[in-house]
Amino acid sequence: MNDAPDRRERLLNLLAALLESRHGLTRDEIVTNISLGYPAAPESARKAFERDKASLRAMEVPVREENDNNVFRYRVDPKEYYLPDLDLSDTELESLHVAVTAIGLGSGSGEGAGALMKLGGLEGTGGMPVAELPLVDSLAPLFDASRQQSVVGFEYRGRPRRIEPWGLTSKFGRWYVVGQDLDASEMRVFRADRIEGEVVAEEPGAFTVPPDFRADAYLADQPWEYGAGSAMPVRVRIDAGYEVDLAGQLNPETPIERAADGSVIVELSVVNLGGLRSFVLGYLDHAEVLSPPEARAAITDWLHAIAQPTA
Amino acid sequence: MSPRREAEGDLQRVLALVPWLSTNRGATKTEIAARFGVPLDQLERDLALIMMVGVPPYSPGDYIDIDYEGDTVDVSFAPYFTRPLRLTAAEGFALLAAGRALLAVPGSDEQGPLATALDKLEAVLGVAEVVVDFAAPDHLGAVRDAAENGDRIEIEYWSAGRDALTTRRIDPGPPFFALGEWYTDAYDHLREEPRMFRVDRIRAVRGTDESFPPVPAGPPSAVYSPRRDDQRVTLELPASASWIAEDLPAESVDELPEGGQRVVLAVSETAWLERLLLRAGPDARVIEPAESVGIGPAAARRLLARYEGT
Repeated sequence: MNDAPDRRERLLNLLAALLESRHGLTRDEIVTNISLGYPAAPESARKAFERDKASLRAMEVPVREENDNNVFRYRVDPKEYYLPDLDLSDTELESLHVAVTAIGLGSGSGEGAGALMKLGGLEGTGGMPVAELPLVDSLAPLFDASRQQSVVGFEYRGRPRRIEPWGLTSKFGRWYVVGQDLDASEMRVFRADRIEGEVVAEEPGAFTVPPDFRADAYLADQPWEYGAGSAMPVRVRIDAGYEVDLAGQLNPETPIERAADGSVIVELSVVNLGGLRSFVLGYLDHAEVLSPPEARAAITDWLHAIAQPTA
Repeated sequence: MSPRREAEGDLQRVLALVPWLSTNRGATKTEIAARFGVPLDQLERDLALIMMVGVPPYSPGDYIDIDYEGDTVDVSFAPYFTRPLRLTAAEGFALLAAGRALLAVPGSDEQGPLATALDKLEAVLGVAEVVVDFAAPDHLGAVRDAAENGDRIEIEYWSAGRDALTTRRIDPGPPFFALGEWYTDAYDHLREEPRMFRVDRIRAVRGTDESFPPVPAGPPSAVYSPRRDDQRVTLELPASASWIAEDLPAESVDELPEGGQRVVLAVSETAWLERLLLRAGPDARVIEPAESVGIGPAAARRLLARYEGT
């Protein structure tokens, strides 16, 4: 494609003309404007204009299309186009540059750099890598829908869902969307990387998020806390020396006793026995569920099934 | 990149350049090129393009004016593109995510310029705070300080793979977060080789009176790099254990016609495989190699012995 430089010029001039026009321009007015340089043949001009419009929209330029007595008029409203002034100081810009370089967002890192350009380019030298927190494709449309209060639909674990996306949050390296599930009529948490296919947004302004809402409040801290049932206290013994990563893992209010032999007994508030099992089995034979009997049985039944494989 | 995407990328940059140039008159080309992350010749082309932009009726006053004096660029008149194009959803989210993530790194200044910048950004985008939570293991601060100061430390470390506690001296690198955990890329004086440690598995940190030249943080080496001599183990897993292929760096994953997956993993330590099999449950099976087929059942019997006192 040798026309690329010309096309850039044409796109810029088209955008400038659309921004400057109060009442909008028809396609005829646009493609016959010699300064814009559209091809002379009407069909080629029409195609070239459609392609330019698609390019502008791909950049999220708000190209409005208004029907005026069966003639379409196109314009870009400066109020919708221009980024409001964020009034960022040089040190603030510098710190955003550090953030974008220090936090690896996978495919999202290019988007972060693009945002910095709009805010005034790369201030300072950036930072050293500190963390990897890759973004997944579902996040940008979910973020947009949450901002615009649009209900979204998507496939999750093989079922279509419709939710009001109230907010996004990341915990321990994963991204989640938290919102009101319209079929289940309750708040639900979805892992963003498990959303399959497209996130389809409906009309804006469909719901209101309470001002005190915090997405992170809906994420259980521990695998055994997930679920809707009632909690039972479960006592687990962990051998001396193996309680290594326990302190950082447990809620500070968790009752912990140290036995005479140095082992540690914790009392967990368990809703989900599967989550408990996963935690306890991580210690191999250095941990044991002490009580109640049904929690002990949940572990031993599971182990029996593994120990005696059927065929 | 397709010509269309390339044109869009150039356009994005030009649209960001114009407002910056008209409020920062007299910047040098070298400065501008560095700030917008482009080589000088690309910047020259961008500036040439900007001079071609005008609006109807295209009289001299309808074009952007650029004056050059030596290496300096002076945009004296830009009647449109006075502000940058608003952020796309992907850009806005990426910037907020990176910013909130860096603020969530233990030790960040919660009242500093990054925090105030993010407050402004959230206000303009009209969104609630995107809360990012990294785990904060007990000894993260001590490891970070030792890495910064070049203090050799003695650690008690739990090797999950071998299920053993060891004491060793290490020269830690700056901690970094990946795959949901904090790591330090360190020199291990016990094995006399570089090694990656998980910070949450450090049970205790003690100072020594030795030091080492601290290395500036660089791009972290891969968190998980299978060694060539690691054994390859083939598993068949039920659908309920799909987290294994999602969370672990599998060498191959094939969907099975009857549901579930066949997964090949590099396994260096038996305890690691035992833990995986016990969590995956009775419907998970080792297919190859033959000597690993009994690992899960044997581990289950060992644990049962503890429960049943046999």
